Amino acid sequence: MSTAPAHEIGLAVHGLSKSFGGVHAVVDASVDFHHGRINALIGPNGSGKTTFFNCVTGMIRADAGTVTYRGQDITGKAPHRVAHAGIGRSFQVCRIFPRMTVLDNVLAGVRPTGLATLLGSGRRRSDVERARALLARVGIDHLERAEAGDISYGQQKLLELAGVLMTDPETIMLDEPAGGVNPALIDRISTLIVELNAEGRTFIVVEHNMELVMRLSDHVIVFDRGAPIAAGPPSTVQKDPAVLEAYLGV
Amino acid sequence: MRNASDTATTSASGSPTVVRVIRGVQVLAVVAAAIGVLVFPQTGPGPFIMSVGVVILSYACMATGWNFVGGFTGYISLGHAAFTGLGGYLVGLLILRADVPSWIALVLAAVIVAVLSIPIGFASLRVRGASFVIMSLALVLIMLLIFQSWSDVTGGSNGLRVPRPFGPEVLRPEQHERFYYLHVLLLVIMLVAWWAIDRSRFGAGLKAIREDEDKAQSLGIPTFGYKLSVYVISAFFTALAGGLYALWFGFLDPIFQFSILTGSYMVLMSLLGGIRSLFGPALGAAIVGYAIEFFKAQYGDTQFHLVALGLLLGLVVLFMPEGILPSLGRLLDRLRPSATSIREESAEELANKRAVLVGDNGGAS
Ligand SMILES: Nc1ncnc2c1ncn2[C@@H]1O[C@H](COP(=O)(O)OP(=O)(O)OP(=O)(O)O)[C@@H](O)[C@H]1O
Ligand SMILES: [Mg+2]
Repeated sequence: MSTAPAHEIGLAVHGLSKSFGGVHAVVDASVDFHHGRINALIGPNGSGKTTFFNCVTGMIRADAGTVTYRGQDITGKAPHRVAHAGIGRSFQVCRIFPRMTVLDNVLAGVRPTGLATLLGSGRRRSDVERARALLARVGIDHLERAEAGDISYGQQKLLELAGVLMTDPETIMLDEPAGGVNPALIDRISTLIVELNAEGRTFIVVEHNMELVMRLSDHVIVFDRGAPIAAGPPSTVQKDPAVLEAYLGV
Repeated sequence: MRNASDTATTSASGSPTVVRVIRGVQVLAVVAAAIGVLVFPQTGPGPFIMSVGVVILSYACMATGWNFVGGFTGYISLGHAAFTGLGGYLVGLLILRADVPSWIALVLAAVIVAVLSIPIGFASLRVRGASFVIMSLALVLIMLLIFQSWSDVTGGSNGLRVPRPFGPEVLRPEQHERFYYLHVLLLVIMLVAWWAIDRSRFGAGLKAIREDEDKAQSLGIPTFGYKLSVYVISAFFTALAGGLYALWFGFLDPIFQFSILTGSYMVLMSLLGGIRSLFGPALGAAIVGYAIEFFKAQYGDTQFHLVALGLLLGLVVLFMPEGILPSLGRLLDRLRPSATSIREESAEELANKRAVLVGDNGGAS
């Protein structure tokens, strides 16, 4: 990972729009994300957070708008190119390779450096050691030989995170990391996020757990009906009338 | 849905002796099969049985060639007969129209098919699932039309006679035996190539595509390039199989060369044996190929064997969706004492386990 100076703008999104038929999922959304921060993206169900993620990471093509990362235009780039640019992501409903072992799941994030490594062993010693270290870091190293589809949902979430970390991303986008996991695991995940952030990784986290958002983030962006309606430090956003209205309908 | 409680898997290593016994049985089975295949022609089977042996080996080559794309990526092509057919015709045409020596023609034809498969793969690998299957079917039908109607070059429906690579002094039984061993050689080359990909980083990426293509791409795997590469490799080997068959059989008819049935056989054989395993397609080819030849010999050229094969496919999908070899493997796994059983474990047990595993540097299973 090459780290950029803190508080410079890393990911910059301008005028992003995406509709599905008549549903306007993301509407002219512009957001800048600073390096080194833990950004939280919050908003009611269906406000376009996941669609925003998908457009940024190239999983779906936006109708309009530009996405730049560290000054490099990544608009409409294929997902693997976005990953190579240094952005890793997780999915709202966690995605792992269920028929592979836990260890092989993490190894899937290894990027071959040339033809020799591409055709070389899929379990190169140095890669395996790094994968094991990541599994130990998220706390599931004892499961490395289990088939990923057999472990619990919470463990799969940790595995997904380890797989993303294997690609050594500078910016990590997490779609509801605490969704569907028990309180002990939420603590483990949030500790991990804080530690990884301290090492220089930027986070963009979609999350419904407000307690977690307030505790974790440096900066909160509130989405409503496909666009940001407020942004700022957690304490100010919490009191913003527009936010209260979007959330509570008051 | 599963809950998020801290379940754990017991180490899958099991007892080392049981693992060693299972490994030993597997190696023995492969060695025995290899010896059987190599010795078979020396047992004096007679020309007819010998020709059945060549046919079955040819099926094994086709199915293994198909499995480069089917097995690694999970993209089910029903149209691989396009590549066997093209391979066969190109060999014939190169020999007849360009005076290329037989064996050079065989390799050259496969290279040409591999080049042709680049644009074909480029178009068809953009879609997944049923759409890909339909594209692959369309490909065979297009080839059939071209080779039937372009009769000045291909001989059209009258067929094309492919000159034999061996002189007239080599008699029919001797021909069969030589082609038998040539097919064995081709099969071995394919198996080595499949094995090499299987253990490589490239193979790991392909298998990630098979499981979840979008996820694979989000982890930085250039999925399209991977799929296209293995598609071209598959086309090359499948064309070699088609070409070698053409040299042996000596006659090509578009109806048989570009038949959806041939492509379906490759799929059925591979599914039956198991597309995730190295020897699966070859095993499936032995069973299905034998069945086809048996039905033909018993009941003549009726459609009866098609019904039987349809039933067989249904049974496989219902009872052994992964094919014979993986199912056997799972059965053997159950013999292991502490096979991967998931159970709730106390924090204490977990801590103990971790302490044990720290000292355990055993390779991934
Ligand atoms: N592939 C799709 N096809 C059609 N409509 C879609 C698709 N994906 C999202 N939508 C619609 O777009 C809108 C935004 O959905 P999105 O998933 O981005 O919201 P979200 O903010 O992530 O919601 P949640 O908090 O529930 O995850 C919703 O109305 C949804 O129904
Ligand atoms: Mg969402």
